[in-house]
Amino acid sequence: MKLLTANRLTDGLVLWYAGGPDLSGWNEDAALATRLEDEAAAALLEDWKARETEVVAPYLVPLLDENTLVKREYVREHVRANGPTAGQTAFDTARQHQRGEVF
Amino acid sequence: MYQYDQFDHAMVAARNAEFKDQVERRLKGELSEDQFKPLRLMNGLYLQLHAYMLRIAVPYGVLSSRQMRTFAHIARTYDRDFGHFTTRQNIQFNWIKLADTPQILEDLAAVEMHAIQTSGNCIRNTTTDQFAGAARDEIDDPRPWAELIRQWSTFHPEFTFLPRKFKIAITGATRDRAAIRVHDIGLQLTDKGFDVYVGGGMGRTPHLGHLIKSGLPGEKLLSYLEAALRVYNRYGRRDNIYKARIKILVSALGPQEYARQVEEEWATLDQAQIDAPHAEIARIKSFFPQPAYADKAFDAAALDRAKAADAGFARWVRNNTLAHRRDDHVSVTISLKPTGLPPGDASSAQMDVMADAADRFGYGELRVSHEQNIILPHVAKADLYDLYRLLDQNGLSSANVGKITDMIACPGLDYCSLANARSIPLAQDISQRFADAELTDKIGDLQIKISGCINACGHHHVGHIGILGVDKQGEEFYQILLGGRADEQAALGVITGKGLSAEAVPAALERLIKLYLDLRTDETERFIDTVGRLGRDAFAGALHEPA
Ligand code: HEM
Ligand code: SF4
Repeated sequence: MKLLTANRLTDGLVLWYAGGPDLSGWNEDAALATRLEDEAAAALLEDWKARETEVVAPYLVPLLDENTLVKREYVREHVRANGPTAGQTAFDTARQHQRGEVF
Repeated sequence: MYQYDQFDHAMVAARNAEFKDQVERRLKGELSEDQFKPLRLMNGLYLQLHAYMLRIAVPYGVLSSRQMRTFAHIARTYDRDFGHFTTRQNIQFNWIKLADTPQILEDLAAVEMHAIQTSGNCIRNTTTDQFAGAARDEIDDPRPWAELIRQWSTFHPEFTFLPRKFKIAITGATRDRAAIRVHDIGLQLTDKGFDVYVGGGMGRTPHLGHLIKSGLPGEKLLSYLEAALRVYNRYGRRDNIYKARIKILVSALGPQEYARQVEEEWATLDQAQIDAPHAEIARIKSFFPQPAYADKAFDAAALDRAKAADAGFARWVRNNTLAHRRDDHVSVTISLKPTGLPPGDASSAQMDVMADAADRFGYGELRVSHEQNIILPHVAKADLYDLYRLLDQNGLSSANVGKITDMIACPGLDYCSLANARSIPLAQDISQRFADAELTDKIGDLQIKISGCINACGHHHVGHIGILGVDKQGEEFYQILLGGRADEQAALGVITGKGLSAEAVPAALERLIKLYLDLRTDETERFIDTVGRLGRDAFAGALHEPA
């Protein structure tokens, strides 16, 4: 199982693929990301790699199950999904999306 | 400070217009990401974990109050209301929108700033002593020389695609506050000219620079640097990014052989074409006059009374001020290391306050230090208490300069896409653990430096205690290094003990410090001296929980 993620070209923010044919299908909230089967994920990745005016640097994040990151990726993807863990300045993605932390 | 002439203005304006066009073409899809990436990097725009990051050059760390207010404006208008001052005396904004960057660069150009050469394999911002022009132990002011190097190196056609990035640091004082021995080239100004150190660096293979030339006259500085860079540009390795820095070339050739080749190259150069004429050096020096010092009556007894009445102020004067060349002035360091907050961050409101403080009490001048603090280089002693109160009302009066909580920390895995582990939360935990000001004063001078990966942006190799974040199959671990120092007795720390989890680090440091307090001869023996006297091994055991 995999997630498709990238940064939006215009503002660089982390996005998660949540279905649909165009950019409006991507979401800043990782909780809403579509859980993809491996083959579908690989095909979508190829598709989105070519769509450079919409997203930058798309890649796949492997999951062990619905809500569990592979350990090797854990801290990095947790930080990308939830915002910096640090400080006065932490962008509290979870609060913005009115939900708890993802993963 | 230096003021742009018409050429500087025209150059930056042309570059900004060019980048604006590149951004527009990228947004329209006329440039691919592969084509655009090197162009944006040449203008300081990175893509990090969460967003674009813009790195703005603060030439040799010197800022006017007006420039600081522009940073506040950028933080407020285009970012999330804060900025991060870095060990390269620059500032980084972490949440920049691509489409906003042309306007940001225009706002910067209006105050004679830019983000050119803050990335890529070129000569980067030259760094120097944050107390330049003010410190009592200064032999000669390094700023005019740093400015001369800036003018020579900016857009230098031959050195735009070096094997790897290139960093020069200069100090003009007896105390080295610019860490010159861990830069590609380190310059020490003496009364006989420059001592030139080459081949220092950190990253995955740390080296201390080697002295290859003494007493180089200032008028010959540029041609000699040109020769040094040429030899590197020609023979530095381009086949392996990990072996591309000049430190690798210098250690492969041996410093003497490298120096010989530089001399040989230097002799072939048309030096008069390269070196700045006397009049030009004098012109640049004229931009760095002493301020028009106010003759404010200084009442030492009043200062003593204020200190006696306000213990926080007394501590701040003791820890955050440095002897000035004039008896009635001091240099003040504004610590950006308040308890429990990210080292080096400042909010837009704090930036405005620091700019106001500079205007009211510091002749409009500020500096960024490589320790990620802000300096008011010239403050009349008569103004100290008023300045302190202004800072104190705005969360800027931490009295911990040079102490255990005055840590350097790189952005780490909270922001940086190359990171292995987080740095900032660890710094926050340590700062909380040592929040007691009495205790930090008792511990005395101690530098902790934290990097989130082997690239060493947080200078962990030269921390008295260095902390290096590593990744062990998805878990963050921290290696502890002991015995490093960045000053005139530069030394590289050595990894001591086994890696620790983030939770284990603060307690390990507490045991380490307790042992030091037990072992030191008296309070004048600093941590680094005790480690030097007894050896690292005497401390290794304390890092781990007793079995
Ligand atoms: C967040 C984005 C950053 C990236 C991608 C980055 C990347 C790197 C890399 C790849 C190196 C190793 C160079 C080498 O060994 O050849 C390095 C070194 C260094 N960087 Fe950064 N860095 C970042 C942020 C910073 C910050 C915030 C600072 C200042 C606080 C900084 C200051 C330094 C210093 C002092 C070194 C070590 C000296 C040297 O070897 O050049 N960097 N950086
Ligand atoms: S040391 Fe590593 S983690 Fe820290 S800023 Fe540099 S590249 Fe990023």
